[in-house]
This record gives sequence, C-alpha cells and structure tokens, in this order.
Amino acid sequence: MSTILKLDNITKLYPGVTALDDVSLSFEQGEVHAIMGENGAGKSTLIKTIGGAIQPNSGTITIGENSFDHLTPSLSSENGIGVIYQEFNLVPSLSVSENVCLGNKLGHKFYKDRKQMNTETKKVLEELGLDIDPDMMVSLLSTGQQQMVEIAKSMIKNCKVLIMDEPTASLSSAETENLLKMVNTLKQKGVTILYISHRLEEVFEISDRISIMRDGHYIKTVNTKDTSRRELIKLMVGRDIGDEYPKRQTRPEEEVVLEVKDLCGQGDENISFQLHKGEVLGVAGLVGAGRTEMAKMIYGYLKKDKGEIYVRGEKKDIRIPAEAIASGIGLIPEDRKREGAFLEYGIDWNIPIMMIKKASNGLFVNRKKTAKIVDKYIKELSIATPSAQQLVRNLSGGNQQKVVVAKTLATEADILIMDEPTRGIDVGAKQEIYNLINDLVAQGKSVLMISSEMEELMGMADRIMVFYEGEVTGFVDRQHFEQNHIMALASGIREAA
Amino acid sequence: MKKINFDEVFKKYMAWIILLVVLFLFSFTKNFLSFANIVNILSQNSYAIICSLGVAFLMMAGEIDLSVGYIMSLCSVIAGILNVQMGIPAVLSILITIAVGMLLSMLNNFLSELLKLNRFMITVATMSIFQGLSYVISKSVSIRGFSDGFKAIGQSNIGMVPLPVFIMFFLLIICSVLMSKTYFGQYVYALGGNSEAANLAGINVKKMRYIISALAGALIAISAIILTARLGSAHSNTGPGTEFTAITGILLGGISVRGGEGKMTSVFAGVLIISILTNGMQLAGLDTYYQFIAKGIIMLLAIGIDVYNLNRRQIVRKTAK
Ligand SMILES: Nc1ncnc2c1ncn2[C@@H]1O[C@H](COP(=O)(O)OP(=O)(O)OP(=O)(O)O)[C@@H](O)[C@H]1O
Ligand SMILES: [Mg+2]
Repeated sequence: MSTILKLDNITKLYPGVTALDDVSLSFEQGEVHAIMGENGAGKSTLIKTIGGAIQPNSGTITIGENSFDHLTPSLSSENGIGVIYQEFNLVPSLSVSENVCLGNKLGHKFYKDRKQMNTETKKVLEELGLDIDPDMMVSLLSTGQQQMVEIAKSMIKNCKVLIMDEPTASLSSAETENLLKMVNTLKQKGVTILYISHRLEEVFEISDRISIMRDGHYIKTVNTKDTSRRELIKLMVGRDIGDEYPKRQTRPEEEVVLEVKDLCGQGDENISFQLHKGEVLGVAGLVGAGRTEMAKMIYGYLKKDKGEIYVRGEKKDIRIPAEAIASGIGLIPEDRKREGAFLEYGIDWNIPIMMIKKASNGLFVNRKKTAKIVDKYIKELSIATPSAQQLVRNLSGGNQQKVVVAKTLATEADILIMDEPTRGIDVGAKQEIYNLINDLVAQGKSVLMISSEMEELMGMADRIMVFYEGEVTGFVDRQHFEQNHIMALASGIREAA
Repeated sequence: MKKINFDEVFKKYMAWIILLVVLFLFSFTKNFLSFANIVNILSQNSYAIICSLGVAFLMMAGEIDLSVGYIMSLCSVIAGILNVQMGIPAVLSILITIAVGMLLSMLNNFLSELLKLNRFMITVATMSIFQGLSYVISKSVSIRGFSDGFKAIGQSNIGMVPLPVFIMFFLLIICSVLMSKTYFGQYVYALGGNSEAANLAGINVKKMRYIISALAGALIAISAIILTARLGSAHSNTGPGTEFTAITGILLGGISVRGGEGKMTSVFAGVLIISILTNGMQLAGLDTYYQFIAKGIIMLLAIGIDVYNLNRRQIVRKTAK
C-alpha cells in the first residue's frame, strides 16, 4: 500500500473558531477511511480544504507526488479528488448528464456534444449499476438518486480519491444499502474513499480504518476491526457516555392527548392513531412513504382533504401552523435549511422566534427573558458556538439542527412532532436529544417521532406506527419490536398476510 | 408518463402557443397577416428583441438588471455625440458605443461583486446615475444630423426586408446556438441554477459573470444604436421602458426569475406577443394610460406563468417519486 493523500499541519481559522488545529492525516491507496467526530469537530472543514472549496491558513496537502499549500476546486479535481459535499451541489434545472459533465469538457472545447455527454454519462451510470435516464431533469429525481448522480459526477473525472460528507444522512434504508454497495464496488476498482458519517453501523460495515476528530484536533486513527462502538464513542465524545439509548423511567398514561381520525390528503389515506400522554410514538417507513406529509397536515402547514384532529378530546380545526402552536402542537421540521432555521440570523434570534410574543410585555420584546431562554437551550443541548450571536449559517450541520430543535422546544408545546430530529447529529448530541425526549415525556409531554433510523426508533419509541405508500400498515408495541417485522410492514407486507 | 411529456412540451413551447393564439385573434383584423405588416412589426421591434436577448443572458444566470433602459439612453446619446457632434465615422462610433454599453454593464457587475449585493439592488442605484448622466451629457436636447452611414443601420433595406430585422435574426441565431450548443451556455444555466455548485465544479464563476455582463451590455448597446438610427435622432428618453418589455417578454418566454432555464427562441416569441398586443391596442385607439394598465396586467400574467411552472414541477416530482 502507498499513501495517496497526505495532510500536514493543516490549520483553518474562522473568526472566534479554530475549525482545524494543526491536523495531520494520511490516507492509503484503495482504503475506505472513515472520519468521525462530534458536530463541529471540523470534518467538513477538513474535506473542504482537500476539495479546494476553502483555503487553509497554513499546512500542506500532498496528493500523490504533488504538494500544495492550498487548492482550488478545479486544481483538486485535476489531481483526482472527487468530493460530495454535505450540502447537495447539483443544478436542479439541468439534466442528469449535464450535471454529471458539469465543469468537464468532453471533446470540443467550445461546443458541447450532447450525444457524447449522454453516452459517457450512461457508461458511468451503468458501471455504477444505476438505472437513471441521463436526459431527466435533476429536480425530478429522488434524494437517493441525486446522491448517485453526485457520485457519477465524481467518477466521470476518473477520480482516485472520492470523499463523501454524510452521504446517507437523507437516504432511506434501501438507498443507503445501495450506496454502501457502491462504496464497495468503487473500492474494488482501487478508488480510495474518505467517508464521513455519524452512523456507527455504516462505518463498521464498510470502513478499513477510522480517524477521529474532536474540536478541530486530530485524535487518533484506529483499525476498524480492532475497535468497538464503545471505544469509538469514547474517543469522539472524550468521555464514556454509557447506554446509547438511555432508559426511560416513565410509562405512557391512559389519557389520549392527540387523536387523528381518517386523515387524508397529500397522498396519504385514512391515517388514524392516538397519541397518549407521556408516550413516544415512533413513525417508521421508507423515505417518501408520506410521514412528513402527515406531520405537516396535522400542523396545518399542508392542506388536508379530510380528517379530524382531537387535542385532549377537543376537536380542533387547524388550518395554519399558528393554530397548531396555539393548541400546543410543535413541529420540528425535516429540512432544517429550508424549513427550520433562519440561516442568516444569529442563534439568539432563532431560538426565541416562535415564542417571542410570549416573551414580550405588550409591545416590546423582553430581551433579558429571551437571552435567558437562549442561554438555557445552548447549555441544555450543548450547542457548540463561540457566542449566542453566531449566525446559524456558520454552525456545523449538527449544531444547526440543535438550534431548530431548541426553537420548537421554546414554545413549550406539549405535543411534539419531530421529523427526523437526529439527522446529521453526532452520537453525543443524539444522546442529548434522546435524554431530552425522555425528560419531555417525564414532564407529561408526548412525542410523535418520525425517523428513518430503525435502531433509533426501536431504542426510543413506546410504540411504532409503520407507513407504506401513504397508508398505515400496522402498529407494533415495544414488546414486539423486531427489525424484520417492521421492515416487512414498511415494504407493504401487511400483518394479516 | 405520457401526461408528463405533454406537460413538458406545453411548457417548452408555451410562448409559441400563446403567440399563435394572439396571431389567430388578430388575423381577423384587416391586413394584419399581410407580409408588409408582419415585416413592419418585426422591424419596429427588432431593437426590443435584441435588448431582450441581452437581458435574457442575465436572467438565465439568475440576475435582474433594472438599469438596462438607461444604459440604452446613455448609449444613444453617446452615439449622437460621437457621430454628430464629433463627426466620427459611423463604424467607429458604433464600435465605441458598443464598448460603452459593455463597460456600463460590467460596472454593474463590478459593484455587485464589490458590495456583495445582487445586481437587482445595485441597479436600483446605477439606474438613477445613468439617467442623470444621460441628461447631463445631452443637455436634455435631442441630437440630430446623423451621418447616412449611421442611419442606414436602422433605415435601409435588403430586398424587401429592413436591415434591423436581419441583424435581429442574426443575433438571435448566435445567442440561441450559444445557449443551447456550447459549454458557455451550459455554464450560464449552471450559474443561474446553483452558483455554488458551479463554483465547486471548477467553473470560474467570477469570470463568467463578467463575460455574461459584457455580452448583455453589447446587445443592449446594439439595441440602442438600432433604435437611434431608426429614429434618426438621439435623446435621453430613447430606451427607458425597454427593460419592462424585455423582462415581460422573457418571462412569457418561460425563463424563470430564479434563473437556470429557458430558451432564446422563446424570448423572441415572448417579446413578439407583447409587441403585437401593444400594436393591437394602438390600432384599437386605446389611451396610453390604459395601455400602461394593460401592460402591467400582462406582466403579472407572465409572473403567474412562471410561478405556475414552478408549482407544477414540484407536483410532477411528487408523482414521479
Ligand atoms: N464559514 C464559517 N464561518 C465561521 N465558522 C465556521 C464556518 N464554517 C465552519 N465554521 C465552524 O468551524 C467548526 C467546524 O465545522 P465543520 O462544519 O467542519 O464541522 P463538522 O465536523 O463537519 O460537523 P457536523 O458533523 O455537524 O457536520 C464549527 O465550529 C463551525 O461552527
Ligand atoms: Mg459536517
């Protein structure tokens, strides 16, 4: 084995933050090298320097024989580096082949050759075992397919090192499996893969080595087969966190706080369920099964065709989110960038925004009161930031998510609908969210938890409701939790059958 | 599957379909569909179509420029000063005027880059500056006495077809080929669709913005020259208002205000729709002020079409899933 990519003493400073502090790391030809660490540890910053999206303050990057003190996106790709960033970077209005070939001139320098673009794209897609029409507009593809297009985009440049930043964060389990298979295929071809993920199972399944980062520092590299979940978590968090899914002392009560009857609309059909006081009701299903639509209909954000909603026995006609909030229902939306956070404003602006009316005395906002709430949530959820005024855009992905969670929690809603609340959050923070859910439930609040991570649902829920193509195919009680059974329901195989 | 294709086809050719409908409605008017009248409409509107091509480049790249009309105004006045007052030959005057148009447009881009503000906001300010400059330079009188060579650009014919129509079609073909067949065109779309992705794909976004600005500026200047030559005189109020026709026509042509899509040929159809409607309103003797109201309504309609297309795309995506 030979070293294909080497980083020496990389430092990257942002105002008030040392994102990377003298990091040195090297990667071997043909390995799958996972990089793990808490939110804000500097993983994305590290790969952005490799991809040339940002320039480090000091240090050198060596690719093969060539050393650089900084890179640009084109320089990096010329040297065989392909990067799939945490935020999708496709042009939605262009076709698949145009995206795959973007920035990569085939044949003639001036005229583009659509035919050649299509054949080349098809070839790459075929090599990757994908059945996607090169002429399809990218905005029409599912998230999983878009992810595959990103991979194809790197592969067409014959990249030797493929870097993926949390590629499975928004994929369904079937799509995730496909992606992992793809990683193996690429590895067989001799491609070196840097893989960033917060999901331990995946990392154990595919990686050869794992490097850990914490607070901008490089901590350690371990061989995957010589390590354990517990050790990894300890390295990442810096302490032993004990049980990943903390035990809950309380049990759900009889009282029904939310009842949904025959909810139809947005592709969902006849959804009925009851949520009890102090209960965590998990919602399982494949991505696109209609779970988010259900949540948004209950919350009054999407229009429902039919259906009744009872809050604590009282029938409520919720047409807009403000009415849902007034009834004590809070939603933590799935897409934090678009629906959750005000990225261009500070943390201290975001967290109190939903309860700002309550924190004002008539006309003026009580800044002392909001500041206290902001501080409380920054502490409770351990949001990693140099100050409460930091713009949300400048936070790491996981910390952005925490801000979104805090914003809804601040309304003190007692029925919380959480749509993928731990997406892109590190193990430590996940556990904090789990602890938080347990606390909320202990206070008599109820949680409807939508998640695509089966393990998490089985670890946290009292009951799981399973969706398949807009319908509920079954409810499973805690004592009967079994992965295969739930997966079967989620694939449309009903209980009766 | 079939239905989605139908939708796409409809969207692609919407401007042409509307144009046909409008033509059909007016075909009942006497002489409307005669060769002479069609040539006349094309000739009257060549300048607006050429200007729209320039504005379309900007909009496809995701930017809106409000100062276009006053860039035209400045170009017109400067052409007058060069050709009439300084006696510079037509060809040289024209070349210099084009260079001025390019510079003004690139100035907008430079300011937007410098102040990290989108072009729309920058041009709210520069629009006023250009307007003032134009009046100051021309001392707000019209400049007459262009050389014959200069006037020929707007007033001569080749066979039965006026020269501006030829120039217009020539530029339309070039722009259309540029957008649909070249990498440059694809990069313009990429910039409009997701400039961050374009940057990370190794496209020199900064340079692209200047090139697009220069191109748009040149087309805007050519538009001003043709208009000035047709009128045979230059005045500060030559040009302003064209940006309105351009943006409406472009939106009718299916180019989104968010950038990233659209075809140059549809821009041609879109501008023609407005020209014919305006022409019709004039023939019908509608008061100018009512025409303003009607134009505003058409603008809203065009924006409505844009939003409708966006919504439909989201629905298509949902059902495709
Ligand atoms: N543009 C920026 N301006 C200021 N600070 C930034 C900027 N980008 C990143 N940071 C900070 O740098 C640190 C490292 O961020 P980075 O995105 O690399 O974390 P990460 O390890 O990828 O986390 P996650 O798992 O949440 O994605 C964070 O503290 C973040 O707030
Ligand atoms: Mg990250």
